[in-house]
Amino acid sequence: MAISSLVFLAVVLGATGLFAYKASILFRLAKATKGPVWSGNRMDRLAERVETFFTNVLFQKAVLKKKKAGLMHVAIFWGFMIITIETMELFAYELFPGFSLSFIGESAYATLRLIQELFTLLVLSGVGYAFYRRLVLRPEGLGKSTDAIIILSLTSGLMLALLAMRSFHILAEPNDNNAVMFASMWISGIWQSLGVTPEVASTMAAGFRWFHHLLVLGFMVYIPSSKHLHVLTAAPNTFFRKLETPKGMRKVNLEAEDATSFGAGKISDLSWKDTLDLYACTECGRCQDACPAWNTQKPLSPKALVHDLKDSLYENKLALLSGKTDEVKPILGSKITDDVIWACTSCRACESACPVFIEQTDKIYEIRRNMVLMESRFPAELQTVFKNIENNFSPWAMSPDERDKWTEGLEVRTMAQIAASGEQVEYLFWVGCAGSFDDRSKKVSKALVSILKKSGIKFAILGKEEKCTGDPARRAGNEYLAQTLIQENVNVLNNYGVKKVVTACPHCFNALKNEWKDFGIELEVIHHTQLIAELIRSGKIKPTKAVDEKVTYHDSCYIGRWNNEYNAPRTILASVPQLKVNEIEQNKSNGMCCGAGGSRMWMEEHIGTRINVKRTEQLLEAKAGVVAANCPFCITMLTDGIKTKELTDKVRVMDVAEIVDQATV
Amino acid sequence: MNIFVCIKQVPATETKIKINGSGTGIDTTGVKWIMSPYDEFAVEEALRLKEKNAGSTVTVFSAGPSRIAETLRTALAMGCDNAVCVDTPEEIDSFQAAKCLAEAIRKEGKPDVIFTGKQAIDDDCAQVSQLLATFLELPYATVVLNAEYGSGQITVKRETEGGTIEIIALPTPCLIAAQKGLNEPRFASLPNIMKAKKKEIKTHPMASLGVTDADRKIKLVNMQLPPAKAAGKKLAGDAAAQSKDLVKLLREEAKVL
Amino acid sequence: MATVLIYAEHKEGKVKKVTHELISEANRAGAESVVFVAGQGLDAVNKELGEMGAKRVIAAQGDAVKFYSNEAYGKLFVDAVKSTNPSVILIPATAQGKDLAPRIAALLGVGLASDCTKIQIDGEKLKATRPIYAGKAVADVEFVGPKPYMATVRPNALSVGAASPGASAAVTALSLDTGALKSTVKDVVRGATAKLDVTEANIVVSGGRAMKNSENFAILEKLSEVLPNSAVGASRAAVDAGYRPHSYQVGQTGKVVSPTLYIACGISGAIQHLAGMRTSKIIVAINKDPEAPIFQVADYGIVGDLFEVVPLLTEEFKKALG
Repeated sequence: MAISSLVFLAVVLGATGLFAYKASILFRLAKATKGPVWSGNRMDRLAERVETFFTNVLFQKAVLKKKKAGLMHVAIFWGFMIITIETMELFAYELFPGFSLSFIGESAYATLRLIQELFTLLVLSGVGYAFYRRLVLRPEGLGKSTDAIIILSLTSGLMLALLAMRSFHILAEPNDNNAVMFASMWISGIWQSLGVTPEVASTMAAGFRWFHHLLVLGFMVYIPSSKHLHVLTAAPNTFFRKLETPKGMRKVNLEAEDATSFGAGKISDLSWKDTLDLYACTECGRCQDACPAWNTQKPLSPKALVHDLKDSLYENKLALLSGKTDEVKPILGSKITDDVIWACTSCRACESACPVFIEQTDKIYEIRRNMVLMESRFPAELQTVFKNIENNFSPWAMSPDERDKWTEGLEVRTMAQIAASGEQVEYLFWVGCAGSFDDRSKKVSKALVSILKKSGIKFAILGKEEKCTGDPARRAGNEYLAQTLIQENVNVLNNYGVKKVVTACPHCFNALKNEWKDFGIELEVIHHTQLIAELIRSGKIKPTKAVDEKVTYHDSCYIGRWNNEYNAPRTILASVPQLKVNEIEQNKSNGMCCGAGGSRMWMEEHIGTRINVKRTEQLLEAKAGVVAANCPFCITMLTDGIKTKELTDKVRVMDVAEIVDQATV
Repeated sequence: MNIFVCIKQVPATETKIKINGSGTGIDTTGVKWIMSPYDEFAVEEALRLKEKNAGSTVTVFSAGPSRIAETLRTALAMGCDNAVCVDTPEEIDSFQAAKCLAEAIRKEGKPDVIFTGKQAIDDDCAQVSQLLATFLELPYATVVLNAEYGSGQITVKRETEGGTIEIIALPTPCLIAAQKGLNEPRFASLPNIMKAKKKEIKTHPMASLGVTDADRKIKLVNMQLPPAKAAGKKLAGDAAAQSKDLVKLLREEAKVL
Repeated sequence: MATVLIYAEHKEGKVKKVTHELISEANRAGAESVVFVAGQGLDAVNKELGEMGAKRVIAAQGDAVKFYSNEAYGKLFVDAVKSTNPSVILIPATAQGKDLAPRIAALLGVGLASDCTKIQIDGEKLKATRPIYAGKAVADVEFVGPKPYMATVRPNALSVGAASPGASAAVTALSLDTGALKSTVKDVVRGATAKLDVTEANIVVSGGRAMKNSENFAILEKLSEVLPNSAVGASRAAVDAGYRPHSYQVGQTGKVVSPTLYIACGISGAIQHLAGMRTSKIIVAINKDPEAPIFQVADYGIVGDLFEVVPLLTEEFKKALG
């Protein structure tokens, strides 16, 4: 073998060895994070996983949610894939001089070289736009990143090296087949006009070829230390993603005899999938841009959180790799503070925006669990809420005996009465705490009862036997209290043999639909907007009375992003005579949270500006007299927002059920 | 330091009150039982004092029927070291309760300080703290908002009408009855809740302490819900008319002015 | 004639109205009202007690009893019990009274009915009615122990008899034999307001979040000024917002009051507030929102803007009450 080939081989082996060493550390760190994976099995349904890989990795669907930056990335990504062929060809050439891919056929090879030339230019345009975006436009989500500058520089360096190499090669060894490389041809013309001789050109070509090799190998060694790691981890992270959007919180086994800790107090408590998420992050900032907490000056940025968790992983490298979990430092500290963790409203806008399917909220809520269960470390206001849920079975200081007081005069029957009479009902109407105790929400409960009666649907409520789903406790990290309530409720439901449930509260909806199956019950759960849409579609109720209003619709997070239901409420609104619907830009999966989720309804908002006010401002842009919603918390928050704006006489918030009740006889 | 706390198990604050058949108490079916909220301040203060004085222990006492074990375990979960229970019938009065606690305390040794809540939210008598202290011949202060611990002495701030504060120096041993605001009670962590489930509670039957029915001084009888109010009336007219109307009604109809 | 021993509470040379209520009740029952009083410089107080209808006064006067102390006052009161042999003992359910009465009950070995809203003295017997479960229920107290029968009575629960100007009571001095005292009163720091406490007022005017700021409470103060024996209170929302300090707070986590008249201004009437004033004899509510829960417990409701109504009301009361 020629000396240069041997040297090259040595360099390749050296670089590969270094890369492999770094990669193995990352792999072993992922193994050291032994926590349970949320939403279970990530290796099931292989066919669907392959499909998502094709759709989102190869066809970049999630990346293209943002058009301009998306196209920029597609150019760079596909360019990278195509040009890798040339890189491999050059490596082979270095080891076995004279090697080329021309054996595939003259025209095929020419096409290949043309495509590579095109993609080189495409990558350069992409990188050019990336530089422009990062250094001139400076969107907040990108932040400052030396890492990014290095990556973009290396990438452009690689492309320029290729153009240089090709253009000098063209000068050194003229060949008709070179004509396809039009840009390189043009550049070679410049060298020629500068008086570069074929001999010099040949040396330059070789030089740039080596330069390219070194940049590639250098880049490869750099990748594990940089956010460019995503080129290796984004694809597996997509493959192992949660396939459906709806999910419940992971059930913690509180009875585990050997459990020394619950939730995530240390980075080692997270799972391999969490770690893979951290490795996959490209720091694109889309999550931060979408985060309602960040946009109202809270210290929570999902991007920063992922970054800081990754730092925590690396800072504890020695302890993790040697298995000394006692020496792993806690997650909470000066970077990830209590305020960061408590600011989250669980709206999942971050997850919805992420092009590589990172699940930021899983980590936040696992950390909350640890804070509450192990350290009793939570905002003081929550203590009253926990007490109320424990003693009164609702977050409020109301007597559980008053739970069905709202039905006075309405002839609503309880499951106990139904069971005693031997009848059957089609649905259990799960009223929820808000619908039972909150004056405003009681009106929605009554509207739904009215609609159910108009449609002839047989239903019953649990009445005093209904207890809080525990959701406010669960999302505040108090898994112990939540599980107590869930189990008691499940026992009651199983006792009555309940199969179908309709509820007007998205939080109850999500809990019953996606979480209670872990507690021994299988339920068919439908949200009231879904039911009403179905009733309208099937003609069981007919909105005939005009509601002459302009309305804008606010998607609740727990029906929208959590459970992918954007259409049912809109179908309903479209069917109401004379109702004009004005959508705002930030709607459907781009809708902003009202601020009440993640148990924030029960906490004071001390930092920054108010989320509900900001959302109200967005909705007011629709210049509608009615804001329609489908959640008791959203209605509370938006009503409060309108009060703050002093527009109570001009704008009112209505539940979709109230609008339909008004529109039907 | 030997720190004692006395607590009482009461129905949850929001319980809907139903009177029992004999009119001597409430119907306890379905009632959720909790530690009387003022007692939580007492337990918390005891625990904080323990944390400031290495080697101290906190013993929690309660008198009542067998269901009170659950509340004693709540106190243990918060961090108390030992629990002592006096098993009594469902209905006893403040005098009997104080005597039970006094005798149980005498059996446990000499405390440096006893913490209680200023009143139990069921009978609202606010007597046991003072009765207990007097039986044990200890100086006491009730409705305590703040306590500062010195050597052999505790200086407390007591709340009285109009925001007036009395500052009193009590030599130890003494008894302090907590008012809301004395501190913020802690939330028991899950590991402590689990540990408390397994702890042993020392139990004395009431009679074994020499307390009997003969010690009873008070019986509550004829317990009733307050009479339902007649529906109120909304006054008509503009503000001027409403004001005139109201003054007239308050003088002539309600006769309160 | 049965003897009723009454504990007199006084402040800055004036006897508290609740003492007059207790004396009046004892007299109405045809009992001999003997009043125990302790403090420094009691001449004016003793005179006022006479005018309130006390038959006899047992006065423990001196520097040693300048400040209330349950040890000192307890011992002296028990001495007075020994010398008067009463069948009934009435003590105001004030901060002092509630602190002291159980100590006396322990020293005497007798029963005590706390915080009564109704009492009936029948010869040597005492019947008492008291609220329990934060006023959600009431019960009668049956004394099954020995005499004397003790009760602490809520201010404003009993009616005041006519004062007899010029009447005087026989005053017996009690020797200040307090014994060795363990605790010491270091200081008494007066509250920012020397005004009547909400728990002692006959009429309470309360403001809620709708007051919008601290300055606006002045209109409630003005209303209170024209109403006799009244005080201003605040809901928790108003206190949390900083409009008034915590000592004004009426509610589940504040003070429980049962005045004759409670005027709620801009208070929605959440359950937590109701828990603090539901036992008021007459409740008036002024609120913009006709659906506010407070109207469900109000005897008289005005749906309107409190900023309009309250000043007009103040004028009307001024005219009517002179």
